[in-house]
Amino acid sequence: MIMAEPAERTDQEPAADAPAVEMDLVRRAQLGDLRAYDELVQRYQERIYATVYHMTSNHEDANDLAQDSFIKAYQALKSFKGGSSFYTWLYRIAVNKTINFLKQRKNRTHMSLNDLDFNTENNPDLVALISENTPRRDAGLKELQEKLNAALLKLSEPHRLVVVLHDVQGQSHEEIAEIMDCNIGTVRSRLFYARQQLQSLLTDYLKPA
Amino acid sequence: MNENEQDFGTLQQFLKLKRHETPPPGYFNNFSGEVIARIRDEGKAGEFSTEAPWLLKLLQLFEFKPAFAGAFASALFLLLVFGFVFADRPESSPQPLLQATAESSNSFAAVTPVALAQSSESTGIIATTNPATSLQPVASLFNSQNPFAQQVSFTTGN
Repeated sequence: MIMAEPAERTDQEPAADAPAVEMDLVRRAQLGDLRAYDELVQRYQERIYATVYHMTSNHEDANDLAQDSFIKAYQALKSFKGGSSFYTWLYRIAVNKTINFLKQRKNRTHMSLNDLDFNTENNPDLVALISENTPRRDAGLKELQEKLNAALLKLSEPHRLVVVLHDVQGQSHEEIAEIMDCNIGTVRSRLFYARQQLQSLLTDYLKPA
Repeated sequence: MNENEQDFGTLQQFLKLKRHETPPPGYFNNFSGEVIARIRDEGKAGEFSTEAPWLLKLLQLFEFKPAFAGAFASALFLLLVFGFVFADRPESSPQPLLQATAESSNSFAAVTPVALAQSSESTGIIATTNPATSLQPVASLFNSQNPFAQQVSFTTGN
């Protein structure tokens, strides 16, 4: 299973009436219908979990933070007026919660990485990357995964978030700007700077273009 | 911007590795159920906190300061012991007063509420169902030496 990959999530594309269905679920949940909220949780659990996980590089923390985000969203649901999509609103809650958590955790970074799925070795892009483009061809996938996560954790939270949302989860600049409550120019400059940082942190594994 | 994206092409491919990191199998099967269960639990806790906020604060204090919980438990235990000790102790102070009245008249046990009511008509003693210490002659209300232990005397009519 590939987590939250918009470029490959055509099967998850919402139907034409999806916003109406979603708003109906939100309204029912606002009236205290937990079954409706359960449906909303199931819709977004994977994407919210993935974002938090990529930000923390720790499964247990991601589990707690994702659950807490959904609970907080339910408690604050009455204040949701529909100014943005429920998804964006929920994302903002999860992102703020995660950034606050990371600020408190600061230098106590402990990685608890999820396993790579069985499709990893069959992904032609990754195979090509490792066998042709990477100077460290002897490196195993697990080692690459650890190095990549360690490098991400060295970025500041806003820079890491931009990379995670754009390069890992495939969100557009506009969506990211809305989630992070900043303008698109800021998103672009943060993304550029974060990529530069990552490039220098991973020079042993990346062939310069 | 395209140049930049080309520059970072290899990095972007590398970052795709993260998409293959997946939680344990079946993780999402229980996820929403756990969230809903926690919402229900917190809802109950919310009801509890509105009904008895002081108790909730006390419990939170115990949770964050275990020493306070120990001190509170010790204080309760001491109070219990104190209560037992004083509950078993015989009352001694009222006895001389009762003895004094018994000498001057019939035994205290013989004084019944009916007899008191009858005697109050002639002597001015107010008879009530309250304890004996509240039975005071009206005339001596402001003359007593000790406001807490006043001498009680009963006179039965002829």
